[in-house]
Amino acid sequence: MENIMLPEPHQILDVVKETQAEYTFRVAYDKPTQYNQFFQLSIPKVGEAPISVSGKGNGYLEFTMRKVGRLTEGVFGLDKGDTLFMRGPYGNSFPVADFEGKDLVVICGGTGMSPVKTVLTHFMDHPEISKSVHFIVGFKDINSVLFTDALKTFSEQPKFRTTYCLDNSEAPGFHKGFVTQYIKNVPFADFDDYNVAIVGPPMMMGFSAQECLKNGADPKKIWVSFERRMSCAVGKCGHCKINDTYVCLDGPVFNYTKAAHLFD
Amino acid sequence: MSPSEVQTLNQNRLHFYQLLARVYQHELSQSMIQQLVHVTFPKQTGSAEMDRGYGLLERYFVNHQIAAIEEDLACDYAKVFLAAGETKGNAAFPYESVYTSDEKLVMQQAWADVRAIYGLEKLALDTEMADIKEDHIAVELKFMAYLCEKNNLEAQQTFLKTHLLDWIVDFCEDIRKYSHTDFYRGIADLTVGFLKRDAALIETLQTAAQAPATSFTMANSDFDALIQQWQQHYHVFAPAFVNGRSNQHRPLVRFQEINQVSDIVYDRQSDFSAKEIYYPIMQTMFYFTEHEVKESRLKDDKDYLIFMHPCDINALRRTDTVFMKNGGLTDSYYKRLRDKVKIVMMECTQSCENCFCVSMNSNRSDHYDMAVRFDQHQMNVNVKDPSFLADFQAAQTSDFQPQFISENQATVTLPEINSREELDLAGHLDYWQTFNERCIGCGGCNTVCPTCTCFDTLDVTYDESGKQGERRRVWSSCMLDTFTQTAGGNRARKTPGDNMRFKTLHKVYDYKQRFGEENMCVGCGRCVMRCPKDISFSDTINGFTAAFAQAKQEQAVK
Repeated sequence: MENIMLPEPHQILDVVKETQAEYTFRVAYDKPTQYNQFFQLSIPKVGEAPISVSGKGNGYLEFTMRKVGRLTEGVFGLDKGDTLFMRGPYGNSFPVADFEGKDLVVICGGTGMSPVKTVLTHFMDHPEISKSVHFIVGFKDINSVLFTDALKTFSEQPKFRTTYCLDNSEAPGFHKGFVTQYIKNVPFADFDDYNVAIVGPPMMMGFSAQECLKNGADPKKIWVSFERRMSCAVGKCGHCKINDTYVCLDGPVFNYTKAAHLFD
Repeated sequence: MSPSEVQTLNQNRLHFYQLLARVYQHELSQSMIQQLVHVTFPKQTGSAEMDRGYGLLERYFVNHQIAAIEEDLACDYAKVFLAAGETKGNAAFPYESVYTSDEKLVMQQAWADVRAIYGLEKLALDTEMADIKEDHIAVELKFMAYLCEKNNLEAQQTFLKTHLLDWIVDFCEDIRKYSHTDFYRGIADLTVGFLKRDAALIETLQTAAQAPATSFTMANSDFDALIQQWQQHYHVFAPAFVNGRSNQHRPLVRFQEINQVSDIVYDRQSDFSAKEIYYPIMQTMFYFTEHEVKESRLKDDKDYLIFMHPCDINALRRTDTVFMKNGGLTDSYYKRLRDKVKIVMMECTQSCENCFCVSMNSNRSDHYDMAVRFDQHQMNVNVKDPSFLADFQAAQTSDFQPQFISENQATVTLPEINSREELDLAGHLDYWQTFNERCIGCGGCNTVCPTCTCFDTLDVTYDESGKQGERRRVWSSCMLDTFTQTAGGNRARKTPGDNMRFKTLHKVYDYKQRFGEENMCVGCGRCVMRCPKDISFSDTINGFTAAFAQAKQEQAVK
């Protein structure tokens, strides 16, 4: 019978250094994936971890990983031409088709930008299906800033309103403070119809959603994406379970009306 | 049907034939009437005709003074069966040949036929029957009673079909026509109903008799020989003593390969569950080199024969659900072992002190291939999987059916969580944080739990490059403080209390909420025995239910 835990080898096409600690791996892959889906990547000497697709193009996918902990450290020994074992794609995705023709608010923190980067790129490439994109992203400090080129390009798009911030410092192009401070600038009252996508650490997502609600956002229009520990991504290992929900099978994207009731 | 059930049934049938025969042979005697007036007639026999018949009998005895009955019935008997006072001589003549011969006469072909049949059995009419012929209804019914006693189902079926049922419907129709009492009308309905039902019953009994016996009794030494025979094709596992002591300083009992009945510890709960046989603590999933992965194989082709109590059999269904149903995805590592499992259910003779299986509705199971009861020197076995029947050809058959306990010392009351809002309330009770000082997060409870399925994967590499090695999976535990920890160090649940709440809700709410039917916990009580801090899971559930009920009440007051 089919073995759903068996990974497949894929060739690494390129490795791009994003920051001191973060690298993007471009991997040969030619099957379709949805926005915000993830793969179980085999990390040499360690094991598997769920990693979101941060970019995609003809014949490749990109994964951006931070050199944190034991888990992702191993992958940094890999280089162009090496083999990366992976299986997937897993999980649901943002309802991007439903985002089209409406205003979109994207709020993310740090590596949380990875899973929504493909969504942002989609609306950048197709301005005709976008009313506006309000994009707020926060990083710890200037050295943690990811996807510098993409950030610059997004900020130049006529339909994009971008706010980039750093937790405790200022830098050219970056405000000081947390993303939650800048949510009040989003003109929810002026929107005809809209969606909000929030990705980041649990605390950041919780406070951001609260802030959106405070500014008049409808909870039904808010979408969050959970990052959880997973050993299997197929509903067996139990790590990502919250209440009666398995993030790998039922998520990682949840409407806020459901997510608000999930508790750890 | 067990042999004793068949025996009881046959006795009842025999008595009913004798009773009917007596009713038709003569008028009722005073002593019979005395008995009948006190009978409570059955209400729902499964036969509409019999129900109607009993109803008429009841009505007759209610409506008649006991002193008047004998004469009333004697008159009716004479009128109905002997044509007394009938000017045209019409009656329900109780002879088969009257109803089956063209000329409607006594002593025709049917009479000759039944005489021949009785002759084969060397039977002749008693002197007290000298006034009637062999094809009289009473004689034919008596002959059925005789065949019941001889337990000859085939002869019963033939005689009933070719004789009694050939004329009895018309005969009883005539009784209804000529009788003026509810009594004989009732007897007519009862006779037709009973004979029809009996014909169907005989068929059932024949099927049951043809089916091979499924329960056996054998000496332990003979069962030992069977175990050795099974070992050629099976790893035979059962709870057995192993080195080491439990928290209660008792010898540890764990599932082991066993060789004989005396190895099996059947009268106390094992410290570890049977889970580790079909879901090993650690297993290699695949081997990898730089460019390839290769799935691991099982060490041999043998199947697994496991002696388990009902709680563990019920637990098996829970692990099946997670590994083979959740998300519509099947875990092939689980399935490849699970498919090899055959179950020998060990009857629980008494509840163990920490078990609360009755509260969790998992004290019973009919999901087994064989079931056993341990007696001192012998084994009682019930075989469900026909492939094992051949092993018991020489064994003595028996009536053994496994019994189940229906009471535990420990009981739990489950919380009634009826909405998302109530779940929020249940999940945020201060109660959970009381475990912060007690639970040390050792995960022992998960280790002994037959329903815990969580695991971690880990890679073991063979060289410095890390490019060759194997991926293993190892049991994990939601009580460990790192269970939800991601690469960045963030932990979704941070305290032992959070973990306890997660585990408890999973076992007595979440699982059922997701999959329906049943809760995950089977109440085997192993975690209660295992906890080094004496945290009892049954107490935990009860404490939760009480705290939750109180919180609900307080909320209602607000």
